[in-house]
Amino acid sequence: MSATPSILLVGLGGAGCSMVTRLSAQLPAEIGVALLDTDARALQAIVGAQVVQLGRAQTRGMGTGGEAALGLASAESEETPLRRLFTGVPIVVLVTGLGGGTGSGAASVVASLAAETGATVLAFATMPFSHEGERRMRQANDATVLLGQKCHGLVVVHNDLLLQQVASDAPLSESFAAADAWVGGALRGIASAFAPGALIAVDPSALRSILSTPGSPTLYAYGVGQGEGAAMKAARAACDCPLAHGPGAVTKVASLFVHVAGGTSLTTTEAFEAVAAIRTRFGGETSTIICARVDASLGERIEVSVLGASLPAPKVPAKTKKGGKETDPSQPVFEFATEESMRRGLFGGTPMTFIDGQDVDVPAYIRKAVRLPTSP
Amino acid sequence: MTPKSLPSLIAVIDIGTHKTASLLGQIIDGKARMLSFSERRTDGVVKGTVTDLEKLTQCVHEVVNDIERGSGRAVEQIYLSLSGPAAEGERVKGFVAVPAHDGKVTAKDVADAISSAKRLEPPAGRSTLLYMRQPTMLDGRAVTNPVGMAGKRLEVNFWRVTMEEGNMRMRVGMVNGMSIKVRDFILASHAAACATASDADKQGGVLVIDMGAGTTDWILYYKEHILCAGSIPVGGEHMTNDLSVALRISRETSEDLKQRFGSAVHRDNDVNQTIWKDGDKGVGDQQFNRGTITKVISLRYQETLDFVRKDVLRHLEHIFPGHAVKLDQQMIPSGVILTGGSANLADAVEAVQLVTGLTARVGIPNFENESLRKPEYAGVVGLMAAAITDAPPAVRRPRGFLATLKDLFRF
Repeated sequence: MSATPSILLVGLGGAGCSMVTRLSAQLPAEIGVALLDTDARALQAIVGAQVVQLGRAQTRGMGTGGEAALGLASAESEETPLRRLFTGVPIVVLVTGLGGGTGSGAASVVASLAAETGATVLAFATMPFSHEGERRMRQANDATVLLGQKCHGLVVVHNDLLLQQVASDAPLSESFAAADAWVGGALRGIASAFAPGALIAVDPSALRSILSTPGSPTLYAYGVGQGEGAAMKAARAACDCPLAHGPGAVTKVASLFVHVAGGTSLTTTEAFEAVAAIRTRFGGETSTIICARVDASLGERIEVSVLGASLPAPKVPAKTKKGGKETDPSQPVFEFATEESMRRGLFGGTPMTFIDGQDVDVPAYIRKAVRLPTSP
Repeated sequence: MTPKSLPSLIAVIDIGTHKTASLLGQIIDGKARMLSFSERRTDGVVKGTVTDLEKLTQCVHEVVNDIERGSGRAVEQIYLSLSGPAAEGERVKGFVAVPAHDGKVTAKDVADAISSAKRLEPPAGRSTLLYMRQPTMLDGRAVTNPVGMAGKRLEVNFWRVTMEEGNMRMRVGMVNGMSIKVRDFILASHAAACATASDADKQGGVLVIDMGAGTTDWILYYKEHILCAGSIPVGGEHMTNDLSVALRISRETSEDLKQRFGSAVHRDNDVNQTIWKDGDKGVGDQQFNRGTITKVISLRYQETLDFVRKDVLRHLEHIFPGHAVKLDQQMIPSGVILTGGSANLADAVEAVQLVTGLTARVGIPNFENESLRKPEYAGVVGLMAAAITDAPPAVRRPRGFLATLKDLFRF
């Protein structure tokens, strides 16, 4: 890569790298790609990607074996190359899978290094399947709290939810494709803010203005529509996007970034109708940044992606959990709306209760990945 | 001035996740006559664990004040129910080699065996709350009263319930704060069984499942004795929560829909039914697919019952190591008695039959007052029933060694 890309997509850890590898084929040219992992083999997956091998001294090119502490040390030891990687990049999109060692341990370090170099950091983190057991779930929960404080926006994708999106007899690859579609939609949306040829173009700083404060709760939704009234269908799909739901999840935000992309048939009226539907559902009273783009390759399809944030009320740092988490005094500390409260609803904030390695406060239908009958 | 409380008064209090209920009864001829009853919405308990002591204490005080005012009597001591995962049970045993030259068991041998069982220290940081009698074995045979029988090895068994010390002190402190003594603890599942299972059920063998709002307590009777008991920290609130997550509705709406349209068994036909949230089809009313509601609730309901089934089996394996113990109709001829507030859900009995393969029925507490003959009151009514067996009223207990021994045999 010669010129510094305006957006850097960073895959961290095994799950993060493989998702970025799958996504890299369909990305616009404006997006740079970087892979970070302790496992040396994962780094060779994309030709032309920037790579940083973490923890060469600690793991010697192997994985972390699920040790978050090892992941943390591995990232800290590669501080210099990481800083070099992020220098001059305005927006960093970090994709990682939590629960394992590299993702859970290194994510907050990588995010804070990127933020220190001046980048706006948006993180997508996947949570382990319920069947992966107690240890990974706890590790992932701890990591989201830390990561949420370090990056400007954090979107949590539940693997359990992924399983629900597809029919029970669908091949495994299909549920992973759903995850790729969510993250890919966001990336394309953000990237198009910079791409030429947008119907309604915006400045790269738009994203910054929305994701200005680390630790603020982030809303993300994505929907696709096709055929007659595709824009409205896409908007409705985005409103129903599982990522944006559950009690405790952010449902109304002050600032919205709505991106509508469609084939050549996309009209401004359609785009605005979709935006209006999104605003009714999610708010965006303070500011709504609209971006619309025509992409011939989309054909009949219309994609809507929504990113939003609210300024949370500042929280007294006294409530930080025991265990001596270090907090940056220069940054205000916010109570982060963790995905925990989203999935556990009423029970958010109470100690997790494990039976057979599963957190039983999480709804049974989510853990069992049962697809619910659709509402009328 | 409140009149002095009579010795034949029994007060019980059942602190649940959803409601706290208290009952004051006068014991006449071994039967409780209700003097007053009170229940209030519990504050400060989640999943059977105390999260806000101040709120809970206030709630308990209000309930006790209610029953005192309602009856005009002062409560001096009270029986507290014990439920949830905080109270853990395990089997403890004590044995003696029968020493007498003629090989006959004496009362002293029994007392020695009992004290050797009770000498076993609970795990560090936990206190013993109660012992419940399990079969006495003489040379491997279960006997009712071994005194006078010939044998070599006498073994006594207890189901011992322990609780973390801080937790226990908190519960006792809550009641002591009103100058009321805790007369004793009673295991909630045992209470539920006392209210709903007949002696014949216990004689044959029965599994009583008390599914409340925050926890599901179970107890297994086998040949008259308590074999084991346990608790799963999942209850009706979880079903409400699942539904509110799935339909993106408030907890209150979700609770209402659960009661009106929920079912413990999902049927294919449910997906063809559309239901209205408020029913007036006006502004703000919402339509839902009934299939979604029954699917979400039945999954959780049956999973919880399955957790109970697995927990029972785990305990049985622990008690009878090396034996392939099956939970079937042969072992527990009376099947399952399902009680507690969540037993009110439609098709609950069918779900139990599906999950356990045993016959099942809903346990309605046996009580003189019509208003308390509902599954959700099995806990409090049962406490009263268990308390009566605990303290035979108005009869002075004969003193002496034999009397003490008799006490030890009660459970």
